[in-house]
Amino acid sequence: MMPLLEIKNLHVQFRVFEGELKVLNGVDIVISEGEKIGLVGETGCGKTTTMKSVLQVLPTPIARISTGEIIYKGRDILKMRPNEIQNLRKGEITAIFQDSLAALNPVFTIGQQLCDVVKYSSRDGDRNYLSKKEIISRSIAVLKETGMPDPERILKNYPIQLSGGMRQRVCISEAISIAAKLLIADEPTTSLDVTIQDQVLRLLIRLVEKKNMSIILITHSLGIVRELTNRVYVMYAGNIVETVRTKELFANPLHPYTRGLINAIPRLTGEGISKGIEGRIPNYLNPPAGCRFYPRCEYRMTVCLEKPPPLFTTGDNHGIACFLYKE
Amino acid sequence: MSEEILTFENVKKYFVTPQGVVRAIDGISFSVKKGETFGLIGESGSGKSTLAYTVSGIYRPTEGKIVFNKQDISGKYSKRSKFLKKEIRIVFQDPGSSLNPRRNIKQIIELPLMVHHISKNKDQNRKVENLLEIVGLPIDYLYKHPRELGGGEKQMVAIARALASNPSLIILDEPTSALDVSIQAKIINILIKLQKKYNLTYLFITHDLSLMRNVASRVAIMYLGKICEVATAFEFFKNPIHPYTQMLLSSIPVISYEEEVLKPQKIISVGEIPSPVNIPPGCSFHFRCPKKMDICSQEDPVMVEICKGHTVRCHLYAK
Amino acid sequence: MSKKKSFIATLSIGRYNLSRAWYKFSRNPLSVFGLIIFFLIIFVAVFAPYITPYPEHAGAYTNFREASKPPSLTYFFGTDSIGRDIFTRVIFGYRFSLILAVVVLSLSIPPGIILGLIAGYYQYTWIEVTIMRITDIFIAVPPLVLALAIAAMLSPNLFNQMMAISFVWWTWYCRLVYTMTISLCHEDFVYEAKLIGASNTHILLREILPNCVAPILTKMTLDMGLVIIVGASLSFIGLGVQPPKSDLGTMIANGARGLPTEWWAAVFPAIAITLIILAFNLVGDGLQDVFAVEEV
Repeated sequence: MMPLLEIKNLHVQFRVFEGELKVLNGVDIVISEGEKIGLVGETGCGKTTTMKSVLQVLPTPIARISTGEIIYKGRDILKMRPNEIQNLRKGEITAIFQDSLAALNPVFTIGQQLCDVVKYSSRDGDRNYLSKKEIISRSIAVLKETGMPDPERILKNYPIQLSGGMRQRVCISEAISIAAKLLIADEPTTSLDVTIQDQVLRLLIRLVEKKNMSIILITHSLGIVRELTNRVYVMYAGNIVETVRTKELFANPLHPYTRGLINAIPRLTGEGISKGIEGRIPNYLNPPAGCRFYPRCEYRMTVCLEKPPPLFTTGDNHGIACFLYKE
Repeated sequence: MSEEILTFENVKKYFVTPQGVVRAIDGISFSVKKGETFGLIGESGSGKSTLAYTVSGIYRPTEGKIVFNKQDISGKYSKRSKFLKKEIRIVFQDPGSSLNPRRNIKQIIELPLMVHHISKNKDQNRKVENLLEIVGLPIDYLYKHPRELGGGEKQMVAIARALASNPSLIILDEPTSALDVSIQAKIINILIKLQKKYNLTYLFITHDLSLMRNVASRVAIMYLGKICEVATAFEFFKNPIHPYTQMLLSSIPVISYEEEVLKPQKIISVGEIPSPVNIPPGCSFHFRCPKKMDICSQEDPVMVEICKGHTVRCHLYAK
Repeated sequence: MSKKKSFIATLSIGRYNLSRAWYKFSRNPLSVFGLIIFFLIIFVAVFAPYITPYPEHAGAYTNFREASKPPSLTYFFGTDSIGRDIFTRVIFGYRFSLILAVVVLSLSIPPGIILGLIAGYYQYTWIEVTIMRITDIFIAVPPLVLALAIAAMLSPNLFNQMMAISFVWWTWYCRLVYTMTISLCHEDFVYEAKLIGASNTHILLREILPNCVAPILTKMTLDMGLVIIVGASLSFIGLGVQPPKSDLGTMIANGARGLPTEWWAAVFPAIAITLIILAFNLVGDGLQDVFAVEEV
């Protein structure tokens, strides 16, 4: 089965005063239809940059995609014309972000914004828009799907009048009203309380499964990834360091970074806090020539300095970018 | 049996806003023993940050008494003795805004030293370098500015600054919530090390239950300005009694099967957290409580002791 | 670290910050253009007596044989109605404009900043109310009108012109710093300083004020152009520099009588004012870019 989205060898640089930040260093991600992928990594590892490249919303004079391909349904997004990319955003790929307050325009009501989305996404080529009544009823229907109480009243509210969880539900409504195939969720619940986070995530997954969408869930919480995804990509400093089925990642983490990360998470069983991972993320201006995790790795070898490790595959389709696992 | 260093007696903090009276803290009573880490759990709107700000002195309690080392500190902050200002320190949640972006690290850390004349001028630099070493930062960070540091490093500067005045109580308001988990581990380890070395008492506030399990010796959980349950950490997580505690514990994502087993049975949380302006009558949790009874919407329950050291505020257990 | 090391560290950080500021500034070619014009104008104004062709024309000088001559190679901008070289007088006119701008801003900014800091810091007290209501009164009247009223009461000369404009100008800085102080007072680092027991002076001058510098500098640059226009407007109606000296405003007023046939006497001074204000505005724009927080 042809994969839905394939990111191949993506390299992205940012030009700043001090030089060039070589943020993404060859990212490879594959998603098939109906898959739920988790993209895990800490702050600054490049997860948001990767997704912004897919959506083509990078700050272009500063950011530059130097190499790579992003192939969606067989066609390279990087070679598409602007109106084709716009069509993609209208009907194929959609996204929700962390800060729901920033994602919604504060001076328009929810109704105005949601109806706009419904209106422009349901337009077929140059043919007419739906009637106003139809747009409103569709908006209400989609709000109901996300479990909003009293959708008619919500349409008249402004974003600031809603709580964080409800705002995020509005963003989800906007995202699913487009009959998209791929949903990118960038830390959608990080700013929400635990109980609300639980509600919103479950809602998201339920909707995604119902509509047979694929989802890339970007987060730094391994706990969320464990509960809700089938496959995980672990990212560090602009590289994918490990990828495997979710269950397998927690049963058998291979990459030293993944291991360190999992160890650093406090456990409910009360074993105390591990020592974390020494060092800090590399300076993107002058990253190490070889493996970018080299300075912090307990198992480093000389070969790790020389060239960056490719993604080796072991056993159960377990991809791992580490010379420890070279065949 | 260590003595109590901090006691809250029916403390209330209300804010008057155009939307109504916000009852941020509505009758809190507990005490913290010297040398322990007392954990405070709560979601948004629970009043935990208001509590932190009230103890440290940014806010003054509307009602009630706070006693620190046998002194009443509920009065105006300007009336507090200079000594107290050294003794109680706070580490804020957001490292980005707790350090002045226009000052360098040296100036930030030496402010407490200067205000309290802790060291002579020529020793000051050395004392600052010493503090940097204690938290594990390189000395050449002295002249850097906060924007050049990562989130974790900024938080370590905040901790160094808190330590500068040799305090006995440090309030940690979600010190690692804005940080990645690997950096969190480093900081928590430093905090634990410092506590042992300087015999510090911590009031540790967070919403991360797994973290709390591993740092606190006693835990209290807050909901809409009131405490729902207090117990030792072990007891709290092994035998959570209050329905809110159970709901919270059942919702957290964990990463291993052993932890799954420890969680109470899944309680699907419904509804939104009400705003502190519109606190419902009776028990503030009754709208979302799966074990609600009739009395819950009429009367507010009081704290009762279930077993030694474990108190709960719920009609299910009222005597 | 010794004092010498810390001095070197501060210097090198300063140099680094300067080159980073220049990088951000120079990304917009217009800002650089504005900066060049800015330095050019300052240069010619400072060295006016040495580089103008007829420095004696700047003061009392009459030569009715050369009166009202159009622009030529001898007189670049032509001559005015009593025979003085307009080019020379424009350059000397720049002197007045620059002196005006510098003095007015030096006089009005410090009190404005101090009052704004105090008003913002003591929010919800009578101090704030008093200061801000007075400020409101001043701001409610357009600066030109107010300056006019004051200047008309005093005898017309450069000094009084500067006093009049300074008198109304401090209010904008007061309000600017006031709004910034109010929001900064709720930042954690200010709470921290208060909690540790730092003095109010320290908090205002060392914690809050440094964070206000960026908008103050930007506004200051843009204000220089504005002050010059207000000054020129006052001179235009005769309330500024008196003959035989004249600044750009009086030159326009005098030259306006000769329009449209002897256009050069009014047009060139007007272009000169436009140029200096444009330069300040472009530099101000560039400064905004420098201070804008970059997100990557």
